[in-house]
Amino acid sequence: MQAILIVVIVIVAAAGAAAWYLANPPAPALKKIAVVSDIGGRGDLSFNDMGYKGGAEAEKAFGVTMVELVSKTEADYVPNLETAAKDPDVILVVGIGFLLSDALNRTAWKYPDKNFAGIDTFLGGAPNLLNIVFEEHKGSAIVGALAALAAAQYGYSHIGVVLGIEIPTLWKFEIGYKWGADWALKWYQNKFGKSAPVIGDTPVKDRVLWTYTGTFSDITKGYEAAKAMYAQDAVAVYNVAGPLGLGLNQAVQEIATSKNLAMGPPFWIGVDANQDWINPGFVLASMMKRVDKGVYFATQLVIEGKFRQVVADTSGFATLGIGTSVAGIAMTGISVSTLADLDEFIQMGVEAEQLTGKKVLPMAPEDIKAKVTAMRNAVPSWIWDAEKDLETAISNDPSLVPLATTKDVVDQWRATLG
Amino acid sequence: MSKQLTATLRPVTESAVAVVIGLVAGALLMLAFGYNPVQAYVWLFVGAFGSTAGILESLAFATPLMVTAVTFAVGVRAALFNIGAEGQMYLGAIGAVIVGGTMLLPAGIHPIAATIFGMCLGALWALPAAILKIWRGVHEVVSTIMLNWVAFYFVTFLVRTYLGEPGRAERAIPALPTARYPVLGETLTAIIFVVLAFCVAVAILLWRTGIGFELRLVGDNPEAAKYAGASSSRAILLSFAVGGLAAGLAGASQVLGRPPSWTIYATLGNLLNLGFDGIGVALIGRNHPVGGVFAAIFYGGLMNGGRYMEYHVGVASELVDAINGIIVIALAMPEIVAIIRRRRES
Repeated sequence: MQAILIVVIVIVAAAGAAAWYLANPPAPALKKIAVVSDIGGRGDLSFNDMGYKGGAEAEKAFGVTMVELVSKTEADYVPNLETAAKDPDVILVVGIGFLLSDALNRTAWKYPDKNFAGIDTFLGGAPNLLNIVFEEHKGSAIVGALAALAAAQYGYSHIGVVLGIEIPTLWKFEIGYKWGADWALKWYQNKFGKSAPVIGDTPVKDRVLWTYTGTFSDITKGYEAAKAMYAQDAVAVYNVAGPLGLGLNQAVQEIATSKNLAMGPPFWIGVDANQDWINPGFVLASMMKRVDKGVYFATQLVIEGKFRQVVADTSGFATLGIGTSVAGIAMTGISVSTLADLDEFIQMGVEAEQLTGKKVLPMAPEDIKAKVTAMRNAVPSWIWDAEKDLETAISNDPSLVPLATTKDVVDQWRATLG
Repeated sequence: MSKQLTATLRPVTESAVAVVIGLVAGALLMLAFGYNPVQAYVWLFVGAFGSTAGILESLAFATPLMVTAVTFAVGVRAALFNIGAEGQMYLGAIGAVIVGGTMLLPAGIHPIAATIFGMCLGALWALPAAILKIWRGVHEVVSTIMLNWVAFYFVTFLVRTYLGEPGRAERAIPALPTARYPVLGETLTAIIFVVLAFCVAVAILLWRTGIGFELRLVGDNPEAAKYAGASSSRAILLSFAVGGLAAGLAGASQVLGRPPSWTIYATLGNLLNLGFDGIGVALIGRNHPVGGVFAAIFYGGLMNGGRYMEYHVGVASELVDAINGIIVIALAMPEIVAIIRRRRES
């Protein structure tokens, strides 16, 4: 009897609170941009976090408010996008990730008055949807070259790459990386008049160790895959699986601790964000995919009223790469990390620490810079020269690096490069 | 108050008190992190049930849970802990992909055939656990968990190889348009009617048929059942079979009845945890097939409404999960206490 009374009282109180709240709605928000992330969510220190970074920068630059929606399962894609699209204050809905393509396209057609942008999405046609894609194959070629030359320098027989789910986007990384390694060893042959030591003796098809782990969230799989590659004498392993890079780092750190190393080899190569600071001295470089610039750029277009025009002019696809421009604005979307980029990302880490009070950076910013600089100086200058050579060659010939987005092209290249 | 009324109202009061406790605990958690709980809850419920779109989406999330709850509930009714809904559901889904995606059948019977095939695969997957229990007394918790993992890897393997969609490595072959159930709105399709009919059928089976009575008798009082000539083997088989059919239907519902993908993802992401969530739903529904329907709608509302809390109030998505978890635990308490009490008495 008492229990029923308590329940009734609580229900009445709750109803009263709800009624009071609904009668006094909070002040309307400023213009908002909605960022819908893929499964795996935030905290990956690469893909999704870069999307967030772009949104945060757009907030500062354009005075908008960013709202985020994390997709916990694939079933959340459509509801998340629709929630964002239904909000009258939202001026741009951004879907981050290839897997959102279907849901994003559907929602774009359903809400023709709203602006939609996708990162890595591939379904064009809707007049209000801009798919922002990147030339990952070119960046991957450059880090592939770096890795192969490091193998030549330090006498290792292989390089490696750990990938996530086998989606067409990742084929670009895989084939670009293998092609870059091949290009570098031919460059070495040209420059020094002899075949590269150790790795030059490995048969072409065996030089690059590669595996698709099938996940963008299981860090342990990244650790296990990388560990096996290092055991097979890989000098550097390229992370193409977002947060799994932390697993690669674990594998490298194990080796570093057991052999008391202050810097690599062995190395790992970061992706999407600049991951050089995660373990300074052991990250050879990072293949930066400026997802943040993509989100920022999309917001800029909406604010400047050019969004629909750009969608029409580009047939719904904006490609950001090396030396690219969209709608007359120079827009680089792919680059390999340099010391200058390090400052920007260390600053992000510092801000994150101030915000959350938790330690994000592994050591003080000056120490990070010192260690990374030391590593870059320890790697001979001809390797960094080779990197510049390849960048120039790519800028001059946009179709130099193979772009593999269909199974037959991928199979073709796998037949020669492994 | 009459004894009859009190007896009927008692479980309702228990659940109501549990809801209050759960919501208060969740509110305390939100206050600890600086969020406004009133605002958050209003958005949770308004988002999940405050608009037609919201209700339809919540029902879409609830549909598979209604039947995975049946799997657990019909197990408890026979004094079994069948937690194999997860694995049986994966098999149901892959069965639906096989018939729904690779076979060409006329539009009228395609969805039905695919659903039945999925349900049968689910029941087939439940069989080993049943046989092991009857023949060797293997505890079903052990056998069903192991079978869950076997199903997970087996189905993942099929999705990534033989049943993968050509050119789209991240998912299996989608159900052909002739095999899909008609869309009612948002991501809800007519398969919810099949699910509801199934739940009612199970209720009828348990309380209106001889073998159903036998099942409940074996579950309530095995000694008396044996004395009365009831076959515990038959009861166990029936319980696992019905549970497998139910879980198979849940799996089929995500392939034949869930736009926009109409298939299984290579990560099994759109199926993961629906089986285990069914356990919580069954407990909230007091292990009754029809109670499970209401509990599933509530649970579906939590799953759907969580994003509104995240979006409008800024509650971090992990915290939303924690709050949902607290509410579910609180609501499951009355039934857990009842199960423990029954075990002690027997």
